[in-house]
Amino acid sequence: MIRLRSINRIFEVGEQTVHALDDVSLTINAGEYLSIMGPSGSGKSTLLNMLGLLDRPDSGQYKLDDIETSALNDDALAAIRRNKIGFIFQAFHLIARLSAAENVELPLMLAGQQSKLRRHRVLETLSALDLSDRANHQPAQLSGGQRQRVAIARAIAMRPQVLLADEPTGNLDRQSGNDVIDVLEALNRDGLTLLVVTHDPDIGGRAKRRIRMVDGRIESDTALVAKHARA
Amino acid sequence: MRARDLTVFALHAVGRQRLRSSLLIVAVAIGITAVMSLTALGEGARRYVIDEFSSLGTNLLIVLPGRNETTGGAPPLLGETPRDLTLDDALALTRTRLVSRIAPVNVGSAAVSVGSRERDSLVLGTTHSFTDIRQLRLSTGRFLPDVDMRRATPVCVIGSNLRDELFGASTALGNWLRIADRRFRVIGVIETSGQSLTVDLDNVVIIPVASAQRLFNTNSLLRILVEVPQVATLDKAKHTIIRIIRDRHDGEDDITIIAQDALLSTFDKLFLVLTLGVGGIAAISLAVAGILIMNVTLVSVSQRKYEIGLLKALGASRNTIRTIFVVEAILITLAGILLGLVLGVAIVQTAAIGFPQFPLATPSWAALASIGTALATGTIFAFIPAGRAARMDPVQALGGH
Repeated sequence: MIRLRSINRIFEVGEQTVHALDDVSLTINAGEYLSIMGPSGSGKSTLLNMLGLLDRPDSGQYKLDDIETSALNDDALAAIRRNKIGFIFQAFHLIARLSAAENVELPLMLAGQQSKLRRHRVLETLSALDLSDRANHQPAQLSGGQRQRVAIARAIAMRPQVLLADEPTGNLDRQSGNDVIDVLEALNRDGLTLLVVTHDPDIGGRAKRRIRMVDGRIESDTALVAKHARA
Repeated sequence: MRARDLTVFALHAVGRQRLRSSLLIVAVAIGITAVMSLTALGEGARRYVIDEFSSLGTNLLIVLPGRNETTGGAPPLLGETPRDLTLDDALALTRTRLVSRIAPVNVGSAAVSVGSRERDSLVLGTTHSFTDIRQLRLSTGRFLPDVDMRRATPVCVIGSNLRDELFGASTALGNWLRIADRRFRVIGVIETSGQSLTVDLDNVVIIPVASAQRLFNTNSLLRILVEVPQVATLDKAKHTIIRIIRDRHDGEDDITIIAQDALLSTFDKLFLVLTLGVGGIAAISLAVAGILIMNVTLVSVSQRKYEIGLLKALGASRNTIRTIFVVEAILITLAGILLGLVLGVAIVQTAAIGFPQFPLATPSWAALASIGTALATGTIFAFIPAGRAARMDPVQALGGH
C-alpha cells in the first residue's frame, strides 16, 4: 500500500546542506509492523513525516494506496491524513484545555462529522483503550502512559489504515512505555499498518520488520516473517 | 468543520487566555464607548440648537428692508436708498392666502420709568400675532389686543425682569408706566423664558407697532415676521411676498427674505459634520483595537505552534486553521462590542440624567457604524496572523527539523 521510489529530501541548515533522505526506496504492505531505528540525524523522523504526508520530497515518488501524492496540493494531502493516517508523537501533543474525550473527538470534528455520531465513536474508542473512566479528565490530570493512550485513541478515532508513531515511548518510563507498545501491537494485530520510529533497541526489536537508517539511507531492512501481507 | 464546533473550539481557546482576551475585549469596548458617547455629545448639541430654532417656528419668513446682495451696473448717482417697509406693506402681505399671519416689528431703545425708577430698555413695537408666531407665554394679564395694526393704543406688555425692577413688590398689571414722554398701561407680563436667540425677552417692553412708530417718529419697520401655513409652500410664499412688495415699491426688489429653515439646515449640516468628526476620531481607537487584536493573535499563533501542527497532522485544511483564528478574533470583537454598547448606553443615560436640558442621544447611525468598524477591523486584522498560522509548515510547527 505504500511505495516510495528514490525519495530525496535536502535541508539547508545554515551554510550546510543536509541530505536527510538520500535516494530512499521502500515498499510497505498493509498490516505490516515496522520499526525504524538509527542514530539521531539519520533521517528516520524525516522518513516518518514523509510517509505521513507532513513533508514533501524534493524528488522521488510516493504512492499511497495507488495515489501519487507528490502531485497533490496541501488540502488534498490534509484530506488523506485525515482519513488514512494516524499520528502518535513523543510529546503526546494533547490540547491542554480540552478533556480526554474532546481531544479524541478533535479529528472527527475536523472531518465535519455530526456530534451524535462523534459521541458514540469517542466512547467506543476510549473504552477500547481502557480509558472510559478518564473521558472527562484534562490531560494535566492524567499520567504519561494515560496521555499517550489518549493520543493513540485520537490517532485511531478516524479508523485510519496506517499508524505512524514517532518515539512513542520517549517521554515514558519503561513500564508505561511497554504498555503503550502493547496497545499499538494489539492494534496492528487487528490489521492496522504500524510504523514505530525509535532509538530504543528493545522496542525496535519487537517489530517484525526492522529498518536501520544511517545518514539518510536505509542501511538494513530485515524481516522476521518474510511475507505478512494481506491477511 | 461545522460552524457550531468552530465556535465552541474558539470559545475554549478564548476562555483559556482569560487576561489576554479580556484586555482585547476592553480595548474594543473603549472604542465603541468612545464613538457612542462622543457622537451623543455632537448629536446633543445639534438637537439643542435645532430645538431652539424650531421654537421660533420653521414655517417662518423674516422680511427685511434692503437687499443684501450686490449687483453690477452703474453706481446709484442719486444716492438711492432702499425704500422703507411700512405698515401698509405689512398689511398688503396679509391679503395673500399663502400667508397665515404676520407681525410687523419695530425696535428702539427708550427710557422706561415708573415714578422715580427709570431704566433704559428695549422697546419692541408689534401686533397681537407676535405672541403666536414667537410662542410667547404670559405669566399674568394678556397680550396686545387684536385690533387694526394702525391703531396706536397706549398699552404695553413687559418682561418679567423689567417688571421686578420697575414695580418691585407692587402690582404692575393695570398700572401705568412712562416710555419717554408717553404713558402706557401695563396689560400683561411675559413669563420668564430665560433665553431666546434674538431678544432678551425678560427686559423688553412690547407696545403696539403704531405706538412705537409715533414714539420713535418713523414710518418704517425693522422687519416683518411672516408665518406660512405650511412649510411646503414656503418658497411659493417667498416669491409672492417679493412680488407684492415689488408692486408697491415701483418695481424695485428692495427687500431680503430670510427663511428660518435655511438657517436651520445650515446649522443641521454644521453639527452633523461636527458629530462625524468626533465620531471619526473616536473610531481611530477602534482601528487601534484592531491592530492590538492582530498583534495578540500573532503572539497566540506562535504560542500555539504545536496545536497548529497537530491540527494539520489530524487533517485540518489551511482554510480550517485560518477560520479558527479569525473566529476567535471575531468572538473577542463581538464581546467587546457588547460591552462597549452597554458602557456607552450607561454613560449617555447617566449624562442625560445629569444634564436634562441637553438632549444627549447616540445617533443610531453612529452606533451601527462603530459596530461595523469594530467587526471589520477585528476580522481584517486577524486575517494576517491567521494566514500565517494556515501557511505554517506542520513539521516545523511540531518541532521537527
